Amino acid sequence: MENFLLRNIDNPKSADISEYEKAGGYKNMEKALSMDADNILGEVKTAGLRGRGGAGFPTGMKWTFAKADPKFPKYLMCNADEGEPGTFKDRPILEKNPHLLIEGMVISGYVLGAEYGHIYLRGEYPEAKDILNAAIKQAYDKKYLGDNIMGKGFKFELSVHQGAGAYICGEETALIESIEGKKGQPRNKPPFPVNVGAWGMPTIVNNVETLSNLPYIMEIGGEAYAKIGSAECPGPKLFSVSGFVQNPGVYELPMGTTLRDIIFKHAGGMRDGKKLKAVIPGGISTPVLPETGIDCAMDFVAMPKAGSMLGSGAVIVMDESVCMVKVTYRALKFFEHESCGKCVPCREGTDWLRKILGRIEGGDGRQGDVELLSDVAAMIAGKTFCPLGDGAAGVVAGMIKYFKSEFDEHINDGKCKFSA
Amino acid sequence: MITLTINGKEITLDKPITVLEAARQSGIKIPTLCAHEVLKPYGGCRLCVVEVERMPRLQTACTLMAADGMEVRTESETISEVRRGILEFLLINHPLDCPYCDKAGECELQDLVNKYGPTVGRHKEEKRKVAESHKDQIFSRNMERCVSCTRCVRMCSDMQGASAISMIARGTHTRMEPFTADSFNCEYCGNCLSVCPVGAILSRLSLHSYRPWQVDKEVETICSYCGVGCTLVVQVRDDAIKRVIPKMGAGINNGMLCSRGRFGYEYIGSEERLRVPLVRKNGKLEQSTWSEALGLIAEKLTEIRNTNGGKAIAGIASPRCSNEDNYVFQKFMRMTCKTNNIDSVSRTGFAAAQKYFEDLLGQGITGNLIDGLKHSETILVLGGDPTAVNPILGLAIREAARDGANIIVLGNAKGLEKFKTVQVVPPVFNEAVVLEEVLTEVFKAKGVRGERPFVDKELKLLSKRTSGKVDIEGYEELKKALLETESLSIVLGMDMVQRTDGHRTLFAVAALTYLLEARLYTLSERANEQGLIDAGCVPDMLPGGRPINISDFKVKFETVWKGTIPDEDGLTLLEIIEGTRNKDIKALYVMGENPVFNIPDGSSVKEALGNLDFMVVQDIFLTETGEMADVVLPALGWTERIGTYTNLERRIQLQKKAVESSSGMEDWRILSELSNKMEYKMKYMQAEDVMHEMAKVSPLYSELTYSEIAEGECLWPYHGEPLRGEINEVPEMLDVAGDYRADFYLALEKPLFHSGSLSRRSQALMKIYPEASLKVGAASAEKLGLTDGDKVQISTSAGSLDTSVIIEDSIKDNRVYMSNNFAGSGVFNLMKFNVDKVTKAPGIEGCEVTIKKL
Repeated sequence: MENFLLRNIDNPKSADISEYEKAGGYKNMEKALSMDADNILGEVKTAGLRGRGGAGFPTGMKWTFAKADPKFPKYLMCNADEGEPGTFKDRPILEKNPHLLIEGMVISGYVLGAEYGHIYLRGEYPEAKDILNAAIKQAYDKKYLGDNIMGKGFKFELSVHQGAGAYICGEETALIESIEGKKGQPRNKPPFPVNVGAWGMPTIVNNVETLSNLPYIMEIGGEAYAKIGSAECPGPKLFSVSGFVQNPGVYELPMGTTLRDIIFKHAGGMRDGKKLKAVIPGGISTPVLPETGIDCAMDFVAMPKAGSMLGSGAVIVMDESVCMVKVTYRALKFFEHESCGKCVPCREGTDWLRKILGRIEGGDGRQGDVELLSDVAAMIAGKTFCPLGDGAAGVVAGMIKYFKSEFDEHINDGKCKFSA
Repeated sequence: MITLTINGKEITLDKPITVLEAARQSGIKIPTLCAHEVLKPYGGCRLCVVEVERMPRLQTACTLMAADGMEVRTESETISEVRRGILEFLLINHPLDCPYCDKAGECELQDLVNKYGPTVGRHKEEKRKVAESHKDQIFSRNMERCVSCTRCVRMCSDMQGASAISMIARGTHTRMEPFTADSFNCEYCGNCLSVCPVGAILSRLSLHSYRPWQVDKEVETICSYCGVGCTLVVQVRDDAIKRVIPKMGAGINNGMLCSRGRFGYEYIGSEERLRVPLVRKNGKLEQSTWSEALGLIAEKLTEIRNTNGGKAIAGIASPRCSNEDNYVFQKFMRMTCKTNNIDSVSRTGFAAAQKYFEDLLGQGITGNLIDGLKHSETILVLGGDPTAVNPILGLAIREAARDGANIIVLGNAKGLEKFKTVQVVPPVFNEAVVLEEVLTEVFKAKGVRGERPFVDKELKLLSKRTSGKVDIEGYEELKKALLETESLSIVLGMDMVQRTDGHRTLFAVAALTYLLEARLYTLSERANEQGLIDAGCVPDMLPGGRPINISDFKVKFETVWKGTIPDEDGLTLLEIIEGTRNKDIKALYVMGENPVFNIPDGSSVKEALGNLDFMVVQDIFLTETGEMADVVLPALGWTERIGTYTNLERRIQLQKKAVESSSGMEDWRILSELSNKMEYKMKYMQAEDVMHEMAKVSPLYSELTYSEIAEGECLWPYHGEPLRGEINEVPEMLDVAGDYRADFYLALEKPLFHSGSLSRRSQALMKIYPEASLKVGAASAEKLGLTDGDKVQISTSAGSLDTSVIIEDSIKDNRVYMSNNFAGSGVFNLMKFNVDKVTKAPGIEGCEVTIKKL
């Protein structure tokens, strides 16, 4: 398959608007602005585009809800708060291909009747901020943004809002709270943001990658798009592969490529001839899979059946030298640090899990700790306000499911055999 | 219609509410920590999880809307297990210091753990450590006990509108903190305390001296401070007030309190209370006995009445005293002392406004429910800051603002800074001019209404006088709002009444009310300003607002009272003071008032009262006026006796007794004992006997009983017959335009934390607001080169004093404000005044002041 999302990415000047135009950029937007918005929405539905942020919600359906709400103005928020450990798939778009995102946002705004767009950018992407702002300025200069875009009578204003380093702000309602100037914490749903979002107005929050697919759907049409990759969730997908592989990096592959192919075919296999031990397939909040579980297709439908999730497509590969207790501890340190504090099970539960795990890894594990970990994880799972707590509980449960013996060994030996 | 079942019980709802609310309404209790009946759903604690048929996960009842056909279970083995898990989580970082924590016994977390467990903790790790904070004078914060329910923060921002506190940090480090770090800089309403489920925020007033199970009794009563009359609960131990708390869902305040109501109770237990009668001997006040004191008063008053006639005697009643006290007071003055010279310090504002409004538009024009403000589309606020004078009424305005009402402020109003939609700040003391201009526009648009001839006539005259040209920011919005509004409320503060042209403001407000069918509210700083008028403590009206000069009314009273009432109207407050100055008045009887301090130009008042032959003061403290008296009598105060109060919406409410007092007598009892000695018999055994008589004689109070009043819904016009016509003839409006070109003008500040001189004796309020200071707007401060805390000397034609400066951004003109609450630094001592010849209120505008940096 030919790259689309990462097209032109090896060109050192790919972020510049003239390079982007040379490669056919903004042509799809021009085409879209001449079309009826409902027809574009039809194409998106035909394409079967699903949100690339992790939940895989059908984009066309979300947009239909937002369009049906009679309130104006509507806001289009691009979720660029790429904060989950292992995930860096949006970064090449933001830094190397920003005009693709801008083009996608204008098309989306046009479909939705949204005249205001904000890119909620993760605080730890300072370069991306400068690049995006420069690209937005270029787009304004070329009348690709602002009033009466390309003389087609559509107005779209776009700006970048930089986050302050909270993972929770990647959750769409917390993102909205943050954009409104409040502390980033998730809101009650319903009402859903498509009806009552930023400043009480219909708000559509879509991931960078999702929005960047719009020009492609315009280019090849919904029907052709639907033929790429998995039938139930088609299209190209970005995978950020990290860990003990030969060639870590971001890969644009058809949705449904197997985990094994991603690791061994595309990322060059394991480093230093070591043996694959485990893979976290979709970012730290998705349950771990052992070596035996990597023949599954990476998409939103097949992964849950394989006992994990596609998530953001962040493949973290671990070899036999990795201590799974330490991985779990590090993951829980992350969740405990990022728990927003709103709901009790996540706030207190992640803290407790982290403390127990730290003790086990440090050689102070006690008999019964593994059972306690499982119990505490179960007390969190399904009871939290937002999925952050579920993620933390899932990591612990998954690790214990496949690697319980490592936990037991730590406790029985009073030390971690992987530490030097 | 929505029909759902909860625990098998079928519940029908006529509007969509949450499952938690539906359960609560049908008596099914679901445990919560973050949900609270007065706050919006939050969904943080997860304790209210319930099982819902056909829903895969447990649902939180506080966020789940009830839907038709829903089947909900609130208790099951699974649910209990989840709740036990949540509680175990809550305890892992909790200090478990119940034996030491004041909240124990009324702690929601403690109660829940008691019910659901866990009985044993499995957490063996180190707990979160956060030092307890005692940096604030009023609140102590223990963030180890905090369960992050955020009730306090939501209360502060969503209900109080103060937004003074926030949850900071995240995860288990989450804690509540004031934006001003360790100590609070807020309205000190303490409503955060009311909703805290645990011992995370506590009042230092009762810290370590309060245990819920050691409360001897709880008495639900009415606050003693302002004209709103909030319901509160007084908790008593060993015959002393330990704590004042609100009652959720009860009263006008519906569970909200202000700083004065919640923390201002300490004056009752003050060491400085008067205990025994004092009689002046050889120029000095000395301790005496009731029989000596009352004998002396009876002798002196009888002598002066018999020698000089009743006109040589005058009485000053009190808006702090009950209806019963004031009723007996005026009866004593009229029947025993034979004088109609009865007035109160309310004449300096509320009583003057009320009389003008009622003369113009009929009785009861201000009888509007505070709750009605919440349903107004437009609210015009003028003459003061409602959130300081009548804080709970102020909250209703803030709530209306949150619901999208148009809040228009004419002049300065600090507490509405974040809530106003339009502010018009006319050149200093020109508010009435602007008001008349906009009134003319409204009159032009609405035309002659034809119901009130005087108003119609004056409106026509006015429209010839106004210029139609106003070039002030916000004026056009003001005009537009008034012309377009369908539902207007007007909230009038006394700053614009205490003017030489006060009657012009009153006319304009009355005419707007008349033309636009507005709801009219007059702010009332003291608890019973309305009640004292209705009880007859005014020089021209008998109880029930019946003019003395209409003989039909007078005769009816004379029949019941068995005697004759003097024919002529008496003197108003300032006329009484003048009467003492020129020695026409020889004896003055003061009940629960401090005229030397509470009337502008205090030193001149003091000088005038010095001319008296005889003065009696009955009060709970020895006031500046008491120090000049010949006899001082100790009265009973709030919570020491029962009595009724009429609030600014004219609701009559019952103040109850909660503590015994070792000394002092009810004001009405002192007066009736005295009257009996003066040969006019009064036979009241208890306060309710007075109410019985009032119900018999006052056309407003007919058939009223304490049991009816105690229900809290005793609303205007009760069972009474108000006078609806133009009651008295209203004098023509006067042209009193002034020329205000001085650099700075001194004005009266009405602080949220004080009220008269009463609050001086409440330590908590003194800690929050310890001394008088000069409030200066940012522009004025810049002009004067002043910064916060600078020491200055301020001088007027009446005198000068030293104070310090506080810069207030909310002051947008060249007025500088100072309070009249603190002994020795009351601003009234620096203010000379002219009298509004129509309302007889003092005009304290135009008080030029020079400010010198020290």
